[in-house]
Amino acid sequence: MTFQRGDKIEVFKASMDDAWEDYMNDFIGCHGFIVDPDTSVNDPDALVEVSLEGKGTHRLPQDCLRRLGDQV
Amino acid sequence: MDKICPVRQTILFLTQLIGPQGLPDPKGRRICEQILVLAEEIAEGTAGEAHLPAIEALVKECNDAGTPEQTRQAGRIIQGLLTDHREVFVNHIQTRNCPTHDCGKLAPSPCQMACPAGIDIPTYLALIAQGKDAEAIEVIRRDNPLPWVCGLICTRPCEMMCVRARIDKAISIKFLKAFAAERAMSERAYTNPTPQPANGKKVCVVGAGPGGLSCAYYLALMGYGVRIIEALPVPGGMLMVGIPRYRLPGEVINREVAMIEDLGVDIRYNTRFGKDVTKDELDREGFEAYCIAIGAHKAWTLSIEGEKEFPKVIEAVRFLRDVALGDHHCPGKNVVVVGGGNVAIDAARTSLRLGAERVTIAYRRTRAQMPADVEEVEQAAEAGIEFSFLTIPTAIKGEGHNIHALACIKAELKAKKGANRLAPVPIEGGEFDIRADVVISAIGQYVDNEGMEAFTGIDWSRRGTIDVNHAGMETAQPGVFAAGDAVSGPATVIEAIGGGKRAADAIDRYLRGIPQPRAPRTPVRHKTEPVIEMTAHEKMTIKPPEMPMLNLYRRRTTFQQVELGYEEADVRREAARCLRCDICRRCGKCVDICRDKMGINALKLGYLDFDESGPTDFRVTAESCITCGACAANCENNALKIDEKDGRRRLLLCGTILNSQTIQYCESCGAKLGSEAYIRFIAGKTRSMTQATETRLLCNNCLRRKAAVSNAANSGALPMR
Repeated sequence: MTFQRGDKIEVFKASMDDAWEDYMNDFIGCHGFIVDPDTSVNDPDALVEVSLEGKGTHRLPQDCLRRLGDQV
Repeated sequence: MDKICPVRQTILFLTQLIGPQGLPDPKGRRICEQILVLAEEIAEGTAGEAHLPAIEALVKECNDAGTPEQTRQAGRIIQGLLTDHREVFVNHIQTRNCPTHDCGKLAPSPCQMACPAGIDIPTYLALIAQGKDAEAIEVIRRDNPLPWVCGLICTRPCEMMCVRARIDKAISIKFLKAFAAERAMSERAYTNPTPQPANGKKVCVVGAGPGGLSCAYYLALMGYGVRIIEALPVPGGMLMVGIPRYRLPGEVINREVAMIEDLGVDIRYNTRFGKDVTKDELDREGFEAYCIAIGAHKAWTLSIEGEKEFPKVIEAVRFLRDVALGDHHCPGKNVVVVGGGNVAIDAARTSLRLGAERVTIAYRRTRAQMPADVEEVEQAAEAGIEFSFLTIPTAIKGEGHNIHALACIKAELKAKKGANRLAPVPIEGGEFDIRADVVISAIGQYVDNEGMEAFTGIDWSRRGTIDVNHAGMETAQPGVFAAGDAVSGPATVIEAIGGGKRAADAIDRYLRGIPQPRAPRTPVRHKTEPVIEMTAHEKMTIKPPEMPMLNLYRRRTTFQQVELGYEEADVRREAARCLRCDICRRCGKCVDICRDKMGINALKLGYLDFDESGPTDFRVTAESCITCGACAANCENNALKIDEKDGRRRLLLCGTILNSQTIQYCESCGAKLGSEAYIRFIAGKTRSMTQATETRLLCNNCLRRKAAVSNAANSGALPMR
């Protein structure tokens, strides 16, 4: 899945990526927006910046995210 | 109950204790009432340092001789809450922040939460709306030392989460910040806060980019002696050598860096860490902690035939750096930039300004998939830059040292086996050439770890970045911290600034022996500014201003700033468009009460819901609202208020006047009755008890008196008049 800036997303599971830290488990189930997609090479492995409602902005692996549909 | 904020939990427990089913003894109830007052002040962010000791002293009173066991037990429970969650109570008092958002008045707004640096956005917008630009900058710099820079080039995650965007368009937070910074600087009102006295400890920051500058600024404010080691001859890192001057003028960076230097931060330019200065030397000088903020300045190569053979195959970051440092020679007549991110757009627009006749951006995916900002892409197209989408470069063709063309092949997007992600796949027979005498590669950067060998204990991630615990930006080596692109890979300026601030906090904790936090700290609210009154019509119809732009001819030839900034009147109006989500938490209780309890349904506030926003119109409230005040009475944060002004009863939501109705008075005794709509509503509800034929406006007392007289007369007790 290629994420674009403004995509509405959900953190639907914990990532298996080693960039996933324990405190990020609190984000599972949260909704938010993609703020800065993988700006370098549309790399599925790149971390993307997401703003999560009530949880702040964080850079997360893509395998824990799914798109909810609408764009802003 | 485990997820409830312990302060809130204490308040709920105390409320039970003083309720009808609570403590029977008057002394226990008195103590609990006193503790409740103190706990509520902690929850509201108005408590001081004496509050916790005062609560503990009151709890001790619960154990006085002769106190009933029930009161003693309540005291033990309260003491348990204080002991188990002392840090949370202290956090509420010191930072005026409730991490779980249960203490509503302290919950940060969505925009503040979204900002990687945690800037208190509603507060500074309110200050800008009032014309208090210098105060706004002071609020911003508590969390971000580079407001002017960010006002021009921030990727603005705050605007993405802006609640106003659920109604029409997000507030132009970024540009308002730039205006305030420029105005404050111009009025000589942009000043540094007073740092704490020097503590005699020294910290070294490697890299003078946004992450390093942010770390240095906050450390300097805490009283540390800070030295920045910078390989370039200029400050700012990628701000200065990666972002072109037409987006971010050099003076803006220089002025804000000078402010940081004024705090005593010593920046050593042209000094490469590991070469010109070593860690051993710095250790010997007495530096006790390090923050690595070296950025991601190394470019990925195209890995295509001919790339190494022609000197005119240039990396975009090198090209932009050379231009930033003064090389303004035209790179060539026909420039092809490979890539689809902001760096590619910057390289293309810079080439055009330097005199290239034809500039083409070759990108292997579609326009919709370009990672570059939409506005940047549009401005590039306006300036005459051509785009070749679904184009995969295969070779660079030429003779001797001269490039003739970039050989490409047309691609189509297809899902690869086992993946749902569309990838560009070459089309057979789709070969074509793009005429070129310069090829600029802009397909991404990575961290250059040369010179970092001295940090033997740090771990590098498989992405080539420094591995840190993000809560404190700590590396695996004690005393070594990291921030910015060196940690995240090429990312955003505001992320680097936020990371630098976290690193400064973590270094301070490290040097004082305080344990590091488990998760990044929740942004801190600094204060609540008064709301700005305006009519519902005005609030709904203010339009965000259009950004005036430099004319096209200058955009093609000069490095003058393209975005010229808003006019002052537009800035004040735009700032006032803010919904003040620092006050209204969008709990929706007001809507529920108006609709379900009162049966009126006057509040059309569809924006309250994040996932399923509906239509919002502040103006329609006046059509059916009776100014009963039920919504305001149940608003925990006083976002909704009922007041009386000039003989009218008004309902206001964060300053927006939703309704205003004339107050009626009892025709008999002159007592205040409320609005006509309200009286009619009450009369409808009490029709069975009051005379339906009553047309005069009378208060309850006068009605009762009148009814009593009438009843007595009817029964013959009184003579009929």
